[in-house]
Amino acid sequence: MKVLQVRDLAIGYDGEVLLDEIAFDVQRGEVFAILGGSGSGKSTLLRTLIGLQPPLQGRVHFTGIGTPARAMSPPSFGVLFQSAALFGSSTLLQNVLLPLRKWTRLSEAAAVAVAMGRLRLVGLERFAHHLPSEVSGGMRKRAGIARALALDPPILFFDEPSAGLDPITAAELDELILTLAGGLMVTIVLVTHELPSIFKVADQCIILDAAAGGIIARGNPRDLAEQSTDARVRAFFRRQPLARSM
Amino acid sequence: MQAPGFQLKSEVAAGGSLRLYLSGRVTLADGAALWRQLNATERQEGGTQMDVGGIERLDGGAAALLTAFAAQRTASGASLQLVGAHGETAKLLELYDCRRTGTCEHPVPKQPGLLADIGGFTYGAIQTTKAIFQFGGDLVVGMLHAVRRPRTVHFGDLGGLIERAGADGIPIVLLINFLVGAILGLQGAIQLHRFGGDHFLANLVGLSVVRELGPLMTAILVTGRSGAAYAAELGTMTVNEEIDALRTLGQDPQRFLVFPRVLALTLCLPILTVLGDLIGCLGGLAIAVSYLEQPSVVYVQALQQAVEFGDVATGLLKSFAFAVAIGLISCQRGLASRGGASGVGRSTTSAVVVVLFTLVALDAVFTWVFSLLGW
Repeated sequence: MKVLQVRDLAIGYDGEVLLDEIAFDVQRGEVFAILGGSGSGKSTLLRTLIGLQPPLQGRVHFTGIGTPARAMSPPSFGVLFQSAALFGSSTLLQNVLLPLRKWTRLSEAAAVAVAMGRLRLVGLERFAHHLPSEVSGGMRKRAGIARALALDPPILFFDEPSAGLDPITAAELDELILTLAGGLMVTIVLVTHELPSIFKVADQCIILDAAAGGIIARGNPRDLAEQSTDARVRAFFRRQPLARSM
Repeated sequence: MQAPGFQLKSEVAAGGSLRLYLSGRVTLADGAALWRQLNATERQEGGTQMDVGGIERLDGGAAALLTAFAAQRTASGASLQLVGAHGETAKLLELYDCRRTGTCEHPVPKQPGLLADIGGFTYGAIQTTKAIFQFGGDLVVGMLHAVRRPRTVHFGDLGGLIERAGADGIPIVLLINFLVGAILGLQGAIQLHRFGGDHFLANLVGLSVVRELGPLMTAILVTGRSGAAYAAELGTMTVNEEIDALRTLGQDPQRFLVFPRVLALTLCLPILTVLGDLIGCLGGLAIAVSYLEQPSVVYVQALQQAVEFGDVATGLLKSFAFAVAIGLISCQRGLASRGGASGVGRSTTSAVVVVLFTLVALDAVFTWVFSLLGW
């Protein structure tokens, strides 16, 4: 079942097109990766998907929800930002409680029980009363995931979840992503260029290229890495410099 | 209100034991009703089983509520077991069960008492004072070094800093000091007029403004504009590791960032103070002319006789010290920022509070010393 459909999307800044003719579908329970080099427009595409930046053209459609407008209704997806974007003056628990207090009618005790459950899921229950500045970068990312999960959204968007993390913490985060997708049937759209993570968690991917102005490849990352004949795709997956014609 | 998508029933078995049955769609959307109904169920000391086999759909939020409730009941001595789960329901309940991770108890950290608060505040104040003096000492050493090797100081920002601290602040300094002079003039005029002392208004306004209020009000305004900006700017640079980056590049943050800011304030504040003094006296003139119907020439002549160069000089001496204090404390507080956006907010607040306290304390000390010296 398709949970997200993107059709004929053009994105950019100040009327200048960065990526054009973007089209793809994301299925329920799938981990879908948006790949590409630095400056290829991955994060801009993500911002458009979650409604923070209007597209120049085309549409983003969430099944059963419509377009991602910031309306007077609970958010239909959760987002983990690259820096985790936790509120520094609030504890991890208060960060997770924030959407629960705003969008549910739970009593305080019930809301705390749900928030603690989210923190338990990401292994941070013991740090619930710590401020974001008192925990490590990996813990902040996990707390960001707990907050994104607070309202049980069917789709989660992750922007560079393992950026800046050590390999063990990054691997733990990958395991968490697999748990969310496998155990909770949450659909995950992630932006990354961490190859080990891509191969471990992603079911499908698209590769963006700013020079080409759009998608240059799509499919299962392992299949693309082994079978693609496109030099740019091969260079990406093999971490090789791209030979450029002078 | 819509009926919840779940059903919770209880049944007493032949042996008298209680059994609960939860079925239907159990989701966070019905979380409030679920929590209420769960808490309304009877507590049985011997232990209760809740059959969750009839659940058609369970989401993470509801799973968190169910496992939290079971743990809470068990902890209170009335054991509650969730039984009959299968498929996705079983997987979710296991993921959220605190007994799996051994984290069912999560005591809220104790808040410190009043005595600990007072002790912490006192210790913090002593540490802050120590840090500011140490910072001032470092700055003096840096200045001596800068005199020997001027190229080590980052003078590139000085023009912009002077513009922001000085030229951009002129309108608000003029407005506030004019109003202060006028308010002082009006209060004084009312009292002096009663005793026929109209001609002393220039003495009152002139000396008060030039010796005390002009330097102090101008310094307070500069604290609000530039001091807070310096603390926030350097605080943001600190939490973004820009200060560390400077150090790794072999640059001393004091010479690169602090010295130009202190210098800019030291150059600007005395000039702003002179402008403030002039406009403050004009505020008094406005009252003399409009309220006391005194010819302006009378007021100006009285002012010339009352205010001497020494009065202006004492005010300027104060403004020079105020400038150093504002620059030094604001930069030190900014560089001491820790812990993201809230840390920057705390250091900015701390900078403004500490600077204001220091300005008033310095003013009192100067006034006392000047009176001892007969200035």
